[in-house]
Amino acid sequence: MELNSPLSKRLLIAAQVLALIVYAAALQFLIHTTGGTLFVFTTAAPVLIAVAMIMLGGVLVHHYRRSHSLFVFATFEPGQIVFRQGDEGDCAYFIHSGEVEVLQEEGGKQKPVAVLGKGEYFGEASLIGSAPRNATVRAASRTRAAVLGKDNFLTLLSLMPATQEDVMQRVKERAMKQAAR
Amino acid sequence: MNVFQQDPVDYYGSRFLAVLIVAGIALVLYSLIRYRGRAAGPVPWGVLLAGVAVLPILVTSAGTVLALQRAERVEFCASCHLTMKPFVDDMKNPKSGSLASLHYANRYIADNQCYVCHTSYGLFGTFEAKKEGLHDVFAYYTRSFHLPVKLKHPYPNGDCLKCHGESVKWLASHADFKDQVFSGELSCLQCHAVKTPAHSVALLK
Repeated sequence: MELNSPLSKRLLIAAQVLALIVYAAALQFLIHTTGGTLFVFTTAAPVLIAVAMIMLGGVLVHHYRRSHSLFVFATFEPGQIVFRQGDEGDCAYFIHSGEVEVLQEEGGKQKPVAVLGKGEYFGEASLIGSAPRNATVRAASRTRAAVLGKDNFLTLLSLMPATQEDVMQRVKERAMKQAAR
Repeated sequence: MNVFQQDPVDYYGSRFLAVLIVAGIALVLYSLIRYRGRAAGPVPWGVLLAGVAVLPILVTSAGTVLALQRAERVEFCASCHLTMKPFVDDMKNPKSGSLASLHYANRYIADNQCYVCHTSYGLFGTFEAKKEGLHDVFAYYTRSFHLPVKLKHPYPNGDCLKCHGESVKWLASHADFKDQVFSGELSCLQCHAVKTPAHSVALLK
C-alpha cells in the first residue's frame, strides 16, 4: 500500500465518518436524553471509536514503517502499479530485477516516457523536492526492488556526497528530458 | 426548573460536552474538506488524531458522567418504562393524594423521584435498579408483561428509611414500632398503602 494510496485514503475517510457518527450520537443524547439515545451513545459510540482508532492506527503505523523502511524488498507483478502520479512520495525504489514503465499523464491519457531496468532507481525526485510523484510507475515484468524510506534516503544522501551528486544529476537529467517533451 | 435548582454537573457538563462535540465536528469536516483522506506531515495527522481519536474519547468520557446524572431523571425513566406512564402522570397530579404525588407536590423529593424511591442506598442499589429496569424494558418490547403492573418484590422499608429514618418528627411519631420497621418485621406499606397508596390505586385497575 503506497502512502496516500486509495486504500489508505478510504480508511482515513471511513475513520472520520465513524467519528462523525459518534458526534451525532453524542449530540442526539445531549439534546434529547432517553433510554434509546443513551444506549446508542454509551454502547455503540465506544465501539465505533475503537474501530476508527484501529483504522487510523493501522494507516499511521503503515506510513511510519514505509517512510522508515531500509531496503525492504518488494515484488511487483507485471502490470502492477508501484505508485501513481500525484501521490505523496514516501520512498525510493532500486531495481534488483525486472523492468518498470514510467508513464506520464497528458490530456487524461497515460503516455510511456521511459523504461527502467536492473540497477536503476526511481521515486527519488519527490523525496528530494518534497513534491507529489511526477509520474506513474508500472511493472513491465515481474520486478523485484529494494525500497528505501524517505528519511533513510535523505540521510544516505547527506552522508554520501558522491551519491548525492549522482542522484541530483539523474534528477536533473530526467527533469530536462521531461521539459523537452 | 428555575436557576436555583440547576444541577451543576448537568449545567456545566452539558455545555462542556456541547463545546467538545462542535469542536470535534469542525475538526473532522475541516480535515475531510482540506485533506480529502490524504495525510502527510504533522498538521494533517494532528487534525486527524484530534478529530478521530482524542475528542471522541473526551466526548464519551464527559458524556458518561452526564449519562449517569441524566439516567436518574423522571423523564429518562419514563422514556423506556412506558407502562409506567400512568404512574408518572399520577405522581405529577396534585389532586391524586397518593404518596408519590404528595412527595412530588410538596417537593419532599426535589427531583429524580423515580430513582430516589425505587433505588436502594449505595452503588449496588443503582446496579440492582438498572438490572430490574432492563428486565422491564425487555418485557415491554416483547409484550411479555401483565397488567396491572405490580412490584416484583415487596417494597423494602430501607427505601423509605433512607430519608425518613433520621427524621426527628418520624422517630417521634413511630416511636412505638420503629424497631419493627427498622428490622423489616413491619412493612411501611402495611399502614400507608391503605389510606395513601404509593401510586393511585385507581390506575392499577
